[in-house]
Amino acid sequence: MTRIAAPEERAATEASAWLARLQRAELSEGDGLEFDAWLAAAPGNRAAYQNAVALWQEFSAGDEAIVAQLEAEARHASLRPSPTRRWLSAAAGFAVAAGLAIAILPSTFTPPAPQTYVTGKGQHQRLTLTDGSIVDLNAETRLSVHYSRSERRIVLGDGEAIFDVAHDQHRPFSVEAANRIVRDVGTQFDVRSRRGELVVTVAHGRVEVRPASPAASGRAFLLTPGQRLAIDRAGTEDLKFVDPQEALSWRAGRLVYREQPLSEVVADLNRQFVEQVEIGDPQLATTPITGVVVLDDPHAVIARLSLMLPIRSVPSERGLLLLRK
Amino acid sequence: MGSSGPSKTRHEDSALTRAFFEKRENLLLFLAARTRSMATAEDLVQDLYLKLATAEDSAEVRAPAALLYRMAANLLVDHVRSTQRASQRNAQWRLAERVGGDGEDVAADPPADEVLIAKDRVRQLAAAVAALPPQMGRAFRLHKLEGLSQAQTAQAMGVSTKMVEQHIQAAIRHLTQRLQS
Repeated sequence: MTRIAAPEERAATEASAWLARLQRAELSEGDGLEFDAWLAAAPGNRAAYQNAVALWQEFSAGDEAIVAQLEAEARHASLRPSPTRRWLSAAAGFAVAAGLAIAILPSTFTPPAPQTYVTGKGQHQRLTLTDGSIVDLNAETRLSVHYSRSERRIVLGDGEAIFDVAHDQHRPFSVEAANRIVRDVGTQFDVRSRRGELVVTVAHGRVEVRPASPAASGRAFLLTPGQRLAIDRAGTEDLKFVDPQEALSWRAGRLVYREQPLSEVVADLNRQFVEQVEIGDPQLATTPITGVVVLDDPHAVIARLSLMLPIRSVPSERGLLLLRK
Repeated sequence: MGSSGPSKTRHEDSALTRAFFEKRENLLLFLAARTRSMATAEDLVQDLYLKLATAEDSAEVRAPAALLYRMAANLLVDHVRSTQRASQRNAQWRLAERVGGDGEDVAADPPADEVLIAKDRVRQLAAAVAALPPQMGRAFRLHKLEGLSQAQTAQAMGVSTKMVEQHIQAAIRHLTQRLQS
């Protein structure tokens, strides 16, 4: 391949190299100064880089949706008779065009794929699994189901779900979340795993919580109805008695708080509504809240909160901004 | 910066501020490489401006541009750390799934309200990613779409960090060519 790159092509190639380089974990002033010099080095550089960044940020904005789309397509492709053919020729075509060598990998379609379920803001979803167990997914939750002959295994990524488990003594039911395994014996319980913090609340039956691997730190617990175990990111465990119906109330569109900071309430609201609430005052964020929040719409929720708290809200770019009255 | 005289603080103070305004657009583009939107990059530039006041006190303002980029790089580290923390768990969980070797199967569509870009555009972008050569596509997907760092992506793929960066560069080049004609 001996062809002389047009200036725009050279600028585009260099721009992509810069954008990739700026993704490094460590950036120094040297990187910055070189980048600065490159922007000015040729007339087309700035525009080429702006183009690349615009597309890069589009991929940021759509990342979750794009991954979902890719996964959906992969699923369909695996059902078609010869999915690899067109794809290989496209890849080979590009390799020739770009003067690259590529390795052709064997197609890797393993038949019993786990099912993954994802909910977004404000979405609740009820799953009825093949054994009759019912799972209610709270908003912004990602969960996958791995059922086999010998076990029923759920992996909860970030999120919250209530499990009503059908009894089957030959196939234990377990939920993996935040480096713990929650195992049950025919029961109803809620698991909440958000940003590394795990909360398990038991309504009926008995539930065991233990570290995901023997090497991991942490104790094993056997929880009975009304018990709530919270394990924070540092691994600190806190066991208390609660009304389990409170922990399960989100399923009915209500959130119950007891002496929890306003920031937690707002974080929950922001999962339930597209319109986002921000707290404009750090002191306000720590104000403890006790009460029931009915999830109808964010303006109504804030209006009711402002009856209990010295707050007022103003419209902001993303939704509402809370300020001290 | 041309007129910075030998006299002490006053001139140097304003030299830094002047350098900031002269470099503002470039700093914005530097920061934009790691933010999810231009608006966020603008916020960071604004933060940088607010930090100039404290920088001037301690200043070795001999090389204002270097100082500005050092501050910008530090801001980015903080920004990336705070935004990654949230997505990290998810990403690591996905990584664990991957290492297990199973193909993932998504049974739910992304919620309509979470899609910030048009559905057609999502299809276009996904198709462009799907058309990337396999290793390049995998690197792009893990690093860009699933939020793993270059090092984490390298680990997941069993290649060097440098190779990941090269894959990402090639992917960007390929994607811009395909999507911006």
